[in-house]
Amino acid sequence: MRRYETTYIIRPNIGEEQFTEVIERTNDIINNDNGAIINLDRWGMKKLAYEIKKEVQGYYVHVDYATQSTNVDEMERIFRIDDRILRYLTIKTAKDIDQETIESEKERIIELANAPTAEEAEAEAEDNNENTDNSDEVATEEVANDEE
Amino acid sequence: MPPRKRIFSRRKVCRFCTDQDIVMDYRDAKTLKMFITERGKIIPRRIYGTCAKHQRQLTEAVKRARHLALIPYSGPSHG
Repeated sequence: MRRYETTYIIRPNIGEEQFTEVIERTNDIINNDNGAIINLDRWGMKKLAYEIKKEVQGYYVHVDYATQSTNVDEMERIFRIDDRILRYLTIKTAKDIDQETIESEKERIIELANAPTAEEAEAEAEDNNENTDNSDEVATEEVANDEE
Repeated sequence: MPPRKRIFSRRKVCRFCTDQDIVMDYRDAKTLKMFITERGKIIPRRIYGTCAKHQRQLTEAVKRARHLALIPYSGPSHG
């Protein structure tokens, strides 16, 4: 099995349901013959740098996966036929990938997704520290007032 | 024979070699925009002083991004 990543652009004005349908059909092709999706990322609506098939916007989907090369051929064949797909780009990122790596990569990506929340937690902790600092100051001021 | 004109040139160092943080990725249009002209051309090595390896990676990334309409083939917007 090889690892690939594909980015494709779906025609924007076909509605959310159709987006999901296209994505699911693509995923089904990838999942054939032990294929596995590592990460699916919907970038969503983006402005195109130039018009493609008279469209100025596009719905971007990025998928990172491991599958057989025949599946990729099939997927691209469908992309070429399907009028709803404006563009696609497939890149091979690894020549060989085994089941273990797929799992560990999945976990790594989930961790990455959770990482921002960790940062937020840190920020919150800092805020709390500041708050406690302030309360200390207030306390000292009060003491000073008492002395007066 | 006229005296040879002295050309002052500061030795340019590849930005990507010095700053390992910048990773060339076709998905990152914002970063790639730093390395193309207003017209959308890739800035040549002789201007930027990038090393061959990184220039090659950059070119590849820019071309991929162009294909996906993330950055224009020419001009900021078509006109």
